Amino acid sequence: MSKASSALGYAPPDRVEKWVGRYGPELRRHLGRMTNNADDAEDILQQVWISAVEKPPDDGPGSNVRAWLYRVATNAALDSLARKRFRRQALQGVDPGATASNLEPPDAGFSGLDEETRARVREQCAKLPTKQREAVWLRWAEGLDYPTIAQRLGSSTESARANVHHGMKKLRESLLDIWEEEVER
Amino acid sequence: MTSGPCRVSEEQVLAFVTGDMDQNASLALAEHLGECRGCRDQATEYTSLLGGLQSCSAEEAVHWHRFETPFGMMNVAATGTGLSRLSWRQADPEAFVHHLGSLYPDRPAIHDAEGLAQTERQLHEYFAGERSRFELPVDLTRLSGFEREVLECVRTIPFGDVVPYSEVARRIGSPKAARAVGNALNHNPVAIVVPCHRVVRADGSLGGYGGGVRYKRRLLSLEGTPALFSD
Repeated sequence: MSKASSALGYAPPDRVEKWVGRYGPELRRHLGRMTNNADDAEDILQQVWISAVEKPPDDGPGSNVRAWLYRVATNAALDSLARKRFRRQALQGVDPGATASNLEPPDAGFSGLDEETRARVREQCAKLPTKQREAVWLRWAEGLDYPTIAQRLGSSTESARANVHHGMKKLRESLLDIWEEEVER
Repeated sequence: MTSGPCRVSEEQVLAFVTGDMDQNASLALAEHLGECRGCRDQATEYTSLLGGLQSCSAEEAVHWHRFETPFGMMNVAATGTGLSRLSWRQADPEAFVHHLGSLYPDRPAIHDAEGLAQTERQLHEYFAGERSRFELPVDLTRLSGFEREVLECVRTIPFGDVVPYSEVARRIGSPKAARAVGNALNHNPVAIVVPCHRVVRADGSLGGYGGGVRYKRRLLSLEGTPALFSD
């Protein structure tokens, strides 16, 4: 039974309902702490259940549905926090009559970064040492996995991953002024 | 909420955001992010950074490669538009990559042998006398309108032929601009592929060449152009 519905790619409603009952309350609390906003928490929780229906986690023996749900919920919360931070920033120095909704392009990118900020990200990326620059770019802009990157760099998979991480740490530091404009919450 | 020093490292926060963490560790970290404002802010920043990087496309980099040719090591680079750089007088790759960095401050330079395999193959064929025209898109967007016009015109000069500077000037409708044509050719970023070596002086002498006049002579003799040129 459950095999057949997995093949269709959807989780059967009764299974998701079971998760809602079992994990809903703690996820709601977690999201409330993450976002500090009950409405946002509720919106994100609904997204989590939609993901659970559309791309259900493996719930066979040895799998960890709770961990999967926390991961999806936390990523969605971080994404929402990131968007809010940049939306506030974009609003500064803009026509005071403008509202967040009419400023946002119809399909704003994942991060909500504007073109000028994206150019700065590329610029800082261009300044990274060769291996870090290539590893970061190939991983995220070109979407390659670590083994493929390792092949391109002539390094081990482990070192490809380390180069991505080192590069990202440097990028976060060199772009600190972007994050620092955060408005007090 | 919680107080006291946070034991979670930046590396762990980053590994959570990039998805490079096993399930149990990532569950513990997710719970921690609900409690620790500092780590949550860091994770938010990494999420933005990740989103910014993921919103970039391969075309926004400058891809480069180098390979052996009869002229020595050939350095080539391409943007999403096409071949944008070709040079053979930069000895080490570091210098070439550094040069690309100054030309394109907001394009990360990425080594890409596969992406430039066509360019490499066509140049090998050309040097082997097996190719008389290049089928490669070029990116001349960094040039002025006039320079672009000159180079577009020069692209139409066929293999084995030569044309005087003054004739190029006439063809682009600026008959008095022969000297300016020479300057524009000197700015050709993709020599050989845009065959500026096929432009010579009206008296039959070679004229200048950005890559060195001896290479101009070699290219023309490779193309079987009658060797009536002296300096």
